[in-house]
Parts: sequence; structure tokens; C-alpha cells
Amino acid sequence: MNKGLNRFAIFVACATFFLIIAGALVTSNDAGLATPDWPLSNGQFFPEMVGNLFYEHGHRMVATTVGLLTIALAIYIRLKEKREWIWKLALFALIGVCAQGLLGALTVKFLLPAGVSTAHATLAQLFFCTTVSLAVFTSRSWMEAQPIEEEKGTLPLRYLCAAALVTIFLQLILGATLRHSAEWNEHLPVHLVLTHIGGAVAVTLALGAAAITTLRRHRDVSFLTRPAMLALGLLALQLFLGVAAYLARLSSPNDPQPLNPMISTTVAHVACGALVFVTTIVLTLRAYRVLPGTADNRGWDARPQES
Amino acid sequence: MNKQTKVWLVLSILLSLLAIGSSCGGGTTTTNQNANAGGAGAGSATTKYDGATGTISGVISYNGAAVTPRKIDTSADPVCGQANPNLTTEETVVTDGKLANVFVYVKEGSVEGGKKIADYAWDTPATAVNLDQKGCQYSPHVMGVMVNQKISITNSDKTQHNIHPTPKRNPEWNKTQGIGQAPIEETFRQAEVLVPVKCNQHPWMKAYIGVLRHPLFAVSGANGTYEIKGVPPGTYTVAAWKEGGAAGQETPMQVTVTANGTAKADFTFGAATTSGKPSLQMMPAIEFPMLSRK
Repeated sequence: MNKGLNRFAIFVACATFFLIIAGALVTSNDAGLATPDWPLSNGQFFPEMVGNLFYEHGHRMVATTVGLLTIALAIYIRLKEKREWIWKLALFALIGVCAQGLLGALTVKFLLPAGVSTAHATLAQLFFCTTVSLAVFTSRSWMEAQPIEEEKGTLPLRYLCAAALVTIFLQLILGATLRHSAEWNEHLPVHLVLTHIGGAVAVTLALGAAAITTLRRHRDVSFLTRPAMLALGLLALQLFLGVAAYLARLSSPNDPQPLNPMISTTVAHVACGALVFVTTIVLTLRAYRVLPGTADNRGWDARPQES
Repeated sequence: MNKQTKVWLVLSILLSLLAIGSSCGGGTTTTNQNANAGGAGAGSATTKYDGATGTISGVISYNGAAVTPRKIDTSADPVCGQANPNLTTEETVVTDGKLANVFVYVKEGSVEGGKKIADYAWDTPATAVNLDQKGCQYSPHVMGVMVNQKISITNSDKTQHNIHPTPKRNPEWNKTQGIGQAPIEETFRQAEVLVPVKCNQHPWMKAYIGVLRHPLFAVSGANGTYEIKGVPPGTYTVAAWKEGGAAGQETPMQVTVTANGTAKADFTFGAATTSGKPSLQMMPAIEFPMLSRK
């Protein structure tokens, strides 16, 4: 275990979260086409960042930084990490950030087609998931986790967590679709809003079941209870932000331009959604790390083989 | 993974996929275009009208609640604040009960003799129509052009702008225009009422361009009046379009034009505007009878 590597992986994950916020600000401010060219902005590396160019070019700068950090992380992992699969995951992250940049270019070149914008928003979450996973895999707690020999209950917790994870990811796709289905001065499509609300119910049930099961079965295992409690807290916050964002968005079409609180609530909703997702990823990975899948199957990769 | 777990997992995924699938279908797209505007479908019309013509004129009134233009926050670009410190919205500009910026046009109808207005062709004016960006506003706010007529876009501001029309029937484009840069000349090849134009750098900047195959259109002035000259005698549907919400509000009216005569077509708009897509109201279908007062 390399402490420096883990800290750097955490830093990259935090930078990715900041990038998601920067991207959400672009959408909420309707700044996606503030410049028609890519990768330069109005033909310049450093244009005067006035008006919405501040958000669009700022997003590009943060994205470039995250791209460079991902390259650095991959090199760092290659040099210091002996587990081959972590190196492969780092390569996956590198491919992901390149693909994300390409999707960003396509959104500009093709004038924000909803499908591409939604894919851009979805891949952002997957990339965030990958960087957080790298931080988890390189952590001391991961290396020193002790397997739990048996689990009470018929339904293995790891599968509950995986189901919650899939449900959240589908809800994130729905949210991205909803967000890119109407501009700030248009009303949101009713059927998409209702579907997203249905998705919120599904996420609440799935994540609630996973987190509460964790707390009931493994109350003494902080390795599991911490992400479970955090996920529950973030879920509650996310539901509140969802309602707030919807109420703020209702009046948006009558505004002369994107205004607060619409911008702040929708951006917070996007950011919190990403946090719910990665917290559930941490819970799921840890559950797979220490818990048996079935009665005769011990935790995945339970015995550390790393240096 | 035991059988029960598998069933649970598969059901969960299927339900979520179904939810996504249902959201992808059944949606209706509302546009503020009018595909038939001015005989858009009459691309092969070659007959030119050369007989006597009349005029359609009128006044656009406003009887809704008093509207105070909203001040626009230009803090994102200090140049805008300096150039136009009192920048306000132009969606509903009312002076003494009269409404400006309403686009009035001959939508459809028949010329005396039975031919449709769409069966006639008009020469495209050689002169370009100017759309200026001044004080971080588009000027004019609402304008009309003929299909293939040049639009000359200029930038009078000391900041750069970004011109981005979002038509439904014409190709969409997005161009930046720097300080003192040469005019950008563009045309629209299809009739469309109306093409919204925005600036992605200054999101409050909006303009609307009505694109027609004929020159039978006008925009109401500050006193609410308009006049459409050169209308062949006949019976027409004249439509008045006012900005508001996502799609604006259009009001049609039947008028009969006689040779050398003037047909009056006065329109009145209220506070309510048609936004096209219905919004999800706050639980519209849920009622609590026990709480209602008889």
C-alpha cells in the first residue's frame, strides 16, 4: 500500500467531482454553446472569460486539468502499484476521460444534441465512479479489511448493494435525459419528470434496503456502516434538492435569463446525485471485499495479494 | 447467487429499463414554427401577382395585467452594464395599452380568382435586413425576412457576441462575432414563423425572425400599429404572433382585402401566453374532497 498514491487518487476523485459541478454549471447557465469552436474558445487558449464563456471555458480548463491528473495517476499506478488489475482500471479511467473529452467536442460541434449531451453527462458519472474506485482500491482500509465469514439473512448484502447501484445509475441516466430535454426557458416534459420521480422512489427503496440491511446485519463493522450511513444521509439530501430544483425550475421559463435559485438548486441536485452514486459504489465494493456471496463462497478477493 | 436473489436483481433492472423506455416514447415535441407559414409548401410557385393590391392594417392592443419590464442582471459582462445600465426585458412592451413587437403576417388564404396565396411567387429583395447587437440587446427584437433574403448581423458593442438561431426547419448555426468584426451575412431557406435567435454568451439576448415566402408581414411599432402593403385582393387568415413562454402566442383572424382598399385587423393580447408544452402543475390530479369547502 502506497500512501502517496492513495492520496493522489483521492485528489483526482475530488477534482472529478469539481469537474461535474463545473459541467452542471454550464448546462444550468445555458453556456454550452458560448463558443462555437473546440478545443479552442473563439480561437484562443485563454479568451476573455466574460458572460457565459466563463462557465464554458472554465469547464474546459477544469476538464483539461482532470485529464492531465488522470494521466499522472495512471503513470503513478504503473510505477508504484503491483496489482495488474488496478493498472487496467487506471487505463480504463484514461480511456474514459478521453472519450468524455470527445463527447464534449461533439456536443459543441453538433450544437448540443440531447443524446450526446446525455451521454456526456452519464459518462461523467462513470468516470467519477472509476476515480473513486481507484481511491478505494489503493486505500489502507481496503488492504487491511478482514473478511466476514458468514452473513445473516438469505439475501446477500453485496447483491442488495449491486441492485441499488444499478438502480441509481439508471436514475442518473434518467436525470441527465430530463435535464437535456428542455432548455431553461422551456417547461420540462411531464412524462420525463414523472418517470424521474418514479426512479427516485425506486432508488429510495433499493438504496434504503441496502443501507438499512447493512446497518442491521453489520452494525459493528464501520468499514460497511460508514458508507451506508453516508449514503442514507445523502439520499435524504438528494430528495430534498430534487423537490427544490423542480420548484425552482417551474418558474424558470418566465425568467429573462437563467437565475438563482434555479441554477444553484439544479447544480446541487446534480452534484449530490453524483455523491449518492459514488457512496453506493464504495459500499458495494466494500461489501464485495469482505462479505461472502453465498453460504459457500467467501468474499471476493478477500485475501490481499498485494504488496 | 441464489435463485431468489437473481429474480430480485433481474426484476429491479427490468423495472428501471421499462421506466427509461417509457420516458423515451410518447413525448410530443412542440415547436413555435409554423410549417405552412406563408405557403411554405409552395416551393414550386412561379406565378407572380401583378394586379391591383390592397392593404391590411391594424392596432395591437394589450388588455392584460400591467406588465413592468424586468431589469436584466448584466453583471456577467461589465461592458453590457456600462453600455446599457437600464437593460430590461422586451417580451411585453406596452405603451398606453398598445403592444409593440408583434409579428403580423398573412398565414394562408385565397386570392380573388381562387388561387391560393401559396401559389404565387415574390421576388426576394436584394437588400439585406440588418440585425444589430447594441447595448447587449438584439435590435430589432422581432423582424421579418423573406426566404433567401440576406440578413446582415452586426456588432455595435465593445464586447463579443454569439449569434445562435435555433430554427426547427432551417439549419441551426452558431457563430461568434468579435468587437468590430465584419457583418455576418446569413439566409434562411425555408419559411418558418418564427426563428428564435439567442446569444449563448449573454443568455438574456433574444430576437425572433419570421421567415416567409412572401413579403406580406409587418411588426407592430411602439404605438401598436402595423401595416401590410401589396396584398392581392382576397380572403386571408392573418395571424399575429407575440413572444411569451417557450412558443409564444399566435392569434389568427379572417380578413378580406379589396383592390386599393384597406382591411382592418386589430388584435388584442392578454396577460396569458401560450407556452406550448404543459408544465407539471403541483399535483394537479390530487384532490382532497374532505378538505374542500362546499
